[in-house]
Amino acid sequence: MTDQLRERLARLDPMHPGVVTEPVSRHLLEEIMSTPVTDHPETGAKPKQSRWLLGVAAAAALVVAVGGAIALTGGGTDPVASGPPLVLNAGGEDPMAMCIVFSVEELAKAPIAFEGTVTTVEGETITLDVAEWFKGGDATQVVLNAPTGMEALIAGIPFEVGGQYLITAYGSDVNYCGFSGPSTPELRAAFEQAFGA
Amino acid sequence: MTESACAGQSVFVSSEGERRARFESMATVVSDPVQRYLRRRATAGEADDVFADVLLTIWRRVDDVPDDAVLPWSYGVARRSLSNHRRAASRQLRLVERLEAERAPARVDDPADSLEDEALAAALGALPIADQEILRLWAWEHLEPREIAQTMGTTANAVSLRLSRARKKLADHLTRQDPSPPGHIGDRPTEEHRP
Repeated sequence: MTDQLRERLARLDPMHPGVVTEPVSRHLLEEIMSTPVTDHPETGAKPKQSRWLLGVAAAAALVVAVGGAIALTGGGTDPVASGPPLVLNAGGEDPMAMCIVFSVEELAKAPIAFEGTVTTVEGETITLDVAEWFKGGDATQVVLNAPTGMEALIAGIPFEVGGQYLITAYGSDVNYCGFSGPSTPELRAAFEQAFGA
Repeated sequence: MTESACAGQSVFVSSEGERRARFESMATVVSDPVQRYLRRRATAGEADDVFADVLLTIWRRVDDVPDDAVLPWSYGVARRSLSNHRRAASRQLRLVERLEAERAPARVDDPADSLEDEALAAALGALPIADQEILRLWAWEHLEPREIAQTMGTTANAVSLRLSRARKKLADHLTRQDPSPPGHIGDRPTEEHRP
């Protein structure tokens, strides 16, 4: 039945072998290869700690992630397996301190980017189920830790159970300053533009 | 190729020439299958737009593309890009309606085959979306569970389980005597019920 079913399903294929596709034009290839590779070390992108994040990180109260932290890959995402929860610090007494102006170019430099839905908000800990990884991870869950007293507005973002959020992070620190926040069409479009997927 | 420290790990970074050569090689490999993948799931216009996005992503992340899974990785990018493209555009037309308008001519010579295909298409369409996609990746892209898992961002075990269940559900749909009202596509005779 298996092979027969596969063959019968293949008959429904609208792009059966009789339909030809166009090869990629040289023009398109050249156009793409002329595009700067923003997060590639060779292209002169800034090292991992960018100036805007350094400002934020300095203001942030560092919280030690408890258990389950994974080693983050420095490169892109292989959409293969999912790992243990990723733990990020979401602390910051003044999350708007030393922000730089938001831009897609700056956003694209973040090594970690994902969209997730908040499943729990328990005191200083927020758990998100990852809906989509744009870059830098493969965990199915992400845990955000915040310092005591910041629960209501962690990282300047009012997290609510059931809400969808777009998050970027550098190392183990969430990026603020508009580079993370509720999943609005505008922020979503910026993520898509920045991370290309 | 040079080595540089990155986030505590060593990563390999291609030179500009190597990057271009690697990208062009990958673009050649993925061009036909990824275009087919997209045309199966999108209109021609969408497919062209998203295909360019896929190539751009490959270019930007050429050092991240696994050598042993270029195609599943690229399908995964195409899948997410198409999803994002639709969300960004806020398009409301149902995919099926759009595809119907642009679908390539079916390869059907025997009218009985046409009826069988309609029944199968209806049965496929009655499955959960994720199951439909797994079956398509299996039958149209000819991927095995491990590759489907790479494409969909899940595990091979999960895919194997879902594929097995989806196949069973599809078989059940096809063999079920459906007392649908006249004209309903589900009451077309299946292969098993054909005289």
